[in-house]
Amino acid sequence: MSSASQPIPPPNDRRGSRSSRSSSNAGFPEPMNSSDIAASESSGFVVGGPPGSPSPLALRASTSPHRRKSRGARIPPDFHLLDYVNTPDSNLICLICHCPFDRPVRLACEHYFCRICLDHAWDAQPEGCKTCPTCRHKVDADEEPLPVPKILERMLDELLVRCPNSKLGCPWVEQRSNLENHVMLYCEYALVECPASDCRLPVSQKDCHKGCLHYSVSCDNCHTSLLRKDLEDHQRATCQFRFAPCPHCSAELLRLDLNAHINDVCPKATVQCPGSIVGCKYSAERETVAEHETACPMATMAPFFRDQQARIERNEARFEPLVRKVGILEDGLSNITNMLYPANANDSSFPVTNPLDSNNPDAFPPAPLMPTPDFRLPPASFPPAPHNNDQSHSQPPFDSQIHHLLTLHDSLRDELSRVASALSELEGRTSMMIMNENQRVKEEMLHTNAAINGMRVQLHWLMSATLHQRTSASASSSATRAGGSASASGSGRSSASGTPTTGGATMRGPAVGMPPLRRLSDSIRQDTKL
Amino acid sequence: MALPKRIIKETERLMAEPVKGISAVPHEDNLRYFDVTIDGPGQSPYEGGVFKLELFLPDDYPMTPPKIRFLTKIYHPNIDRLGRICLDVLKSNWSPALQIRTILLSIQALLGAPNPDDPLANDVAQKWKEDEKGAIETARQWTEQYAKP
Ligand SMILES: [Zn+2]
Ligand SMILES: [Zn+2]
Ligand SMILES: [Zn+2]
Ligand SMILES: [Zn+2]
Ligand SMILES: [Zn+2]
Ligand SMILES: [Zn+2]
Ligand SMILES: [Zn+2]
Repeated sequence: MSSASQPIPPPNDRRGSRSSRSSSNAGFPEPMNSSDIAASESSGFVVGGPPGSPSPLALRASTSPHRRKSRGARIPPDFHLLDYVNTPDSNLICLICHCPFDRPVRLACEHYFCRICLDHAWDAQPEGCKTCPTCRHKVDADEEPLPVPKILERMLDELLVRCPNSKLGCPWVEQRSNLENHVMLYCEYALVECPASDCRLPVSQKDCHKGCLHYSVSCDNCHTSLLRKDLEDHQRATCQFRFAPCPHCSAELLRLDLNAHINDVCPKATVQCPGSIVGCKYSAERETVAEHETACPMATMAPFFRDQQARIERNEARFEPLVRKVGILEDGLSNITNMLYPANANDSSFPVTNPLDSNNPDAFPPAPLMPTPDFRLPPASFPPAPHNNDQSHSQPPFDSQIHHLLTLHDSLRDELSRVASALSELEGRTSMMIMNENQRVKEEMLHTNAAINGMRVQLHWLMSATLHQRTSASASSSATRAGGSASASGSGRSSASGTPTTGGATMRGPAVGMPPLRRLSDSIRQDTKL
Repeated sequence: MALPKRIIKETERLMAEPVKGISAVPHEDNLRYFDVTIDGPGQSPYEGGVFKLELFLPDDYPMTPPKIRFLTKIYHPNIDRLGRICLDVLKSNWSPALQIRTILLSIQALLGAPNPDDPLANDVAQKWKEDEKGAIETARQWTEQYAKP
């Protein structure tokens, strides 16, 4: 086989095909090759199909790890390489790949194949005379391949498989239908690109956060040099000196686990009584300490003390954000008060000074002057303050800092609610004022409107009189009739207005009876029509 | 080099359930290369002979047929001097649903039923057509001479 005639690697051998091809050719006797080249030429075999129409295989192969560019991209599992937990039923086996079907299809002759296997087999057959690989029954390319019964797909989905990364340590074993999700999303052992920017080597997802492990180290025990990422596996599984006896109990263990053993398990290692945190000085081998523990009151107490300690630490940790929160609230409050009492904005002692600060004797100024008589706000005050002030001389103002903060917080909250109620009161007052003012303005507008209307009537009367005079002066008896009727009745007015509209906008006034706005919009409409 | 699952499985099965009269053992350093022996079928001039063959699975096996050649000299109208075999399933009639086991059985059957009308070794086929008795006798002699274990 010449390599030129194989543009697409075979389905089962995507990764190693290049290397295997060269090695296999080298290993094969010459006469065989020449005969086969002749044979393949005469029978017109084209393996892998025409280059113009890449098979699904080629498309899948293009996602193979060698072409992978994007960082951390994962490769979908190849169902033909899976490791099944149980030997699958022979009825579920594809005769081409000898594996359980992957996306199976059916032919009219009731033979089943993987979609990919069948496509690949057909690639080798000329267009229009495709046959069943098993029985050579001719295939109707328009109809076939047919879908397979659902039960077959379900049986395939339920096959138990191991994770493709099981050789790297992944313990996952589940139904095949879940495999893709596991490999694409969850598998911790999937190979991804090394996180270091200048390193393109693959690394397990779970080791990704450890940074680049692709540098050489030498094993401390056997001095073999190897990559850092392989060190742990080496020391766990292959290093010839991986076992060491425990110095205390002489148990034979992995060197790697020795420290954990001595610290947590070894019965002969010297440890302290668990009561040591409360002051027990006893220390002995772990076995003996276990006996001592049952009698030692301090060891009995130790868990409670430990709990207490943990609680204190938790509270202290919670305390820090509270302090910050109060600081923010204080700032906010000072902003609000400064806005409300601009007169006091420059007065540093008001109203933000800490009333709880016993060093500040001016913490409670007299009620501030009102900026305007209208704003009858209650004076800003801090009710708990005097009480605190009393305390400040005799004893520390608060039991604890948290209490202190809570009180401060409460006072701030009171102040806030006072400010809020003042605000709403003010709002009511203002809206009342606005309403009154509005009422007055409305009445005035009504007056003005009435006056304008009167003027309009007068103006109209004057205009029609002028018109009447002009028409009667220029023309004959018909004009006179029109003029007469116009002055006599309302209908005459409207007819008079109808005549000159074509002449111009000057005669739009006459619609006296209608609301002016309506008329205006009508005239606009007329204008646009013209 | 990743060996396709199919080849691994076929090899495993050949080892676990060998076919009577046929053996195929992969090389340790190249698992695509098999040493094959086929016993000459009964009632044929090849009876009693054990024929050595070599079998190689190309990269795109099973899409292309395995390459098989007789290593033992054999007098047969469909097998030439170099051991190449004229068998349709090894050429145009190959199907990926066939496998090593079935191909070796076909070859064994070919030994039992020579077909001089579709020859590869012209001189042998000629002889076979002209003087079948003599040809069979020659085949028996060759078997005696070259294929005795
Ligand atoms: Zn298949
Ligand atoms: Zn069929
Ligand atoms: Zn996994
Ligand atoms: Zn790296
Ligand atoms: Zn080592
Ligand atoms: Zn120990
Ligand atoms: Zn103790």
